[in-house]
Amino acid sequence: MLPRKSGAALASKPSLELDEAALIRAAQDGDHAAFEQLVRAYDQGVLRLAMNLLRSPEDAHDVYQEAFLRVYRNLHAFRFDCSFHTWLFRIVTNLCLDQMRKRKVRKEEPTVLATAEGPMDRMDAVPEERVDGDPQRYLFSGQLRRKIKEVLGELTPRERVVFELRHYQGLRLRKIGEVLGTSEEAAKNCLFRATQKMRAALGDFI
Amino acid sequence: MTECNWSREQFALLLYGELSFDHEEKVEAHLDRCAECRAALEREKALHAAFGAIEIEPSPSLLRRCRDDLRMRLMEAAPPRAPWWERLLPQSGFLRPVGALTLVAMGFFAARILPYANLNGNFNAASAAGDERVRYVEPAGAGRVQIVVDVTRQRVISGKLDEAPIRGLLLAAAKDPSDPGLRAETLGILNAQAASADVRGALIYALEHDGNAGVREKAMSGLAPYAADPEVRNALTVVLLGDSNPGLRTKAIDLLTHGDVDREVVGTLQELMVRGEQLGYVRERCLRVLRAVNASAETY
Repeated sequence: MLPRKSGAALASKPSLELDEAALIRAAQDGDHAAFEQLVRAYDQGVLRLAMNLLRSPEDAHDVYQEAFLRVYRNLHAFRFDCSFHTWLFRIVTNLCLDQMRKRKVRKEEPTVLATAEGPMDRMDAVPEERVDGDPQRYLFSGQLRRKIKEVLGELTPRERVVFELRHYQGLRLRKIGEVLGTSEEAAKNCLFRATQKMRAALGDFI
Repeated sequence: MTECNWSREQFALLLYGELSFDHEEKVEAHLDRCAECRAALEREKALHAAFGAIEIEPSPSLLRRCRDDLRMRLMEAAPPRAPWWERLLPQSGFLRPVGALTLVAMGFFAARILPYANLNGNFNAASAAGDERVRYVEPAGAGRVQIVVDVTRQRVISGKLDEAPIRGLLLAAAKDPSDPGLRAETLGILNAQAASADVRGALIYALEHDGNAGVREKAMSGLAPYAADPEVRNALTVVLLGDSNPGLRTKAIDLLTHGDVDREVVGTLQELMVRGEQLGYVRERCLRVLRAVNASAETY
């Protein structure tokens, strides 16, 4: 498992902020090594966000490429009006939102695939927490996972993004508002709706 | 809305630490006197914890693939450049309006002066040939047009390979994303200097990352005499495990298995066997080397 080093955590340390500003300026002046360092500082967080939102390694790969290419092309226009993390995550969430909206229209990419061994959920290949040999717990855990995924799939793309950024990426609602170009209050309402839907759908499981 | 309903609606935000101080106080006060809501909060906590069960951590191999592909795409991408007026403007915030005014003034005076200068005369079409590129055009009134032309001047520089300016230009050309032919030719010349660390670094970089197989082959031939060097061995291992070109993989296994075979190479060969290596020569060579060192072809 990769070590957790979210951009939010990085950006919260003043000395790293200074280093980051120097890196950004060097990258703006065409220093490739500085740009690569910036990518390395944030790319695990970017990939995790894209992977969890899109639930497809290929789509997450595409979003990763497009996001950092956009950063590369437009870094000269970055004026430190917001943090680099906010700017980068705005690009990533916009790309993911576009992708999710396209899926909603096309109703494509079922997570369940037909395989030689029968139907298989692509995301079941992801290792889950051990339930220590208790078959009933194991079965329940599997059902719960499937149900959570189903409910997440029913959220609107914006609710999904807000829930992801708050629950899994640990961003505060104020920051989520900045990333999505909206107010903290709007982000709070979105999270509120998302958790209400989740509670209504999963109440029987808990 | 009853106090119980209102409190329960706040539970999610309470658990995320996003309630205002006043609302949090109100919920806490209600929980102190309502056992049912305390039980409901416990259920909410269980739900909260259950969401963690579906979080996905991207695999290290996906991250590596993303990084490698990005590196290649950046090599192919043109270097980003701010528009020329942005480059002329000062970086400091309060000086930018002054810079912008200066640019406007320059434009005004240039417009007054230029019609009587070069662009007013007959343009010699012959001079546009060669290394000139029209940057933009705009109507200049009275049926005339104003054209801004970028002129690239060529210079011939000659010198020895170990001279710093020559070496610097060659190392830059070895990474020029626009022309694989130039990169291959440059590496062919640099191969003679592979004993020095900076050249060897450039060859290793090209071997691992260049998108053109011909360029990678040039790099490999320059590195062949240094196949015992640990960094070169790492690069050869990368090629053996993942290069798309069978010829390069064949050469890589020859170089890696020439002479004494170390434990890392044995591990690499076993990994290839476990993966079900498709290339006949590589598979045969793996088996022969593994047998020679009494290593299993199935486990590693």
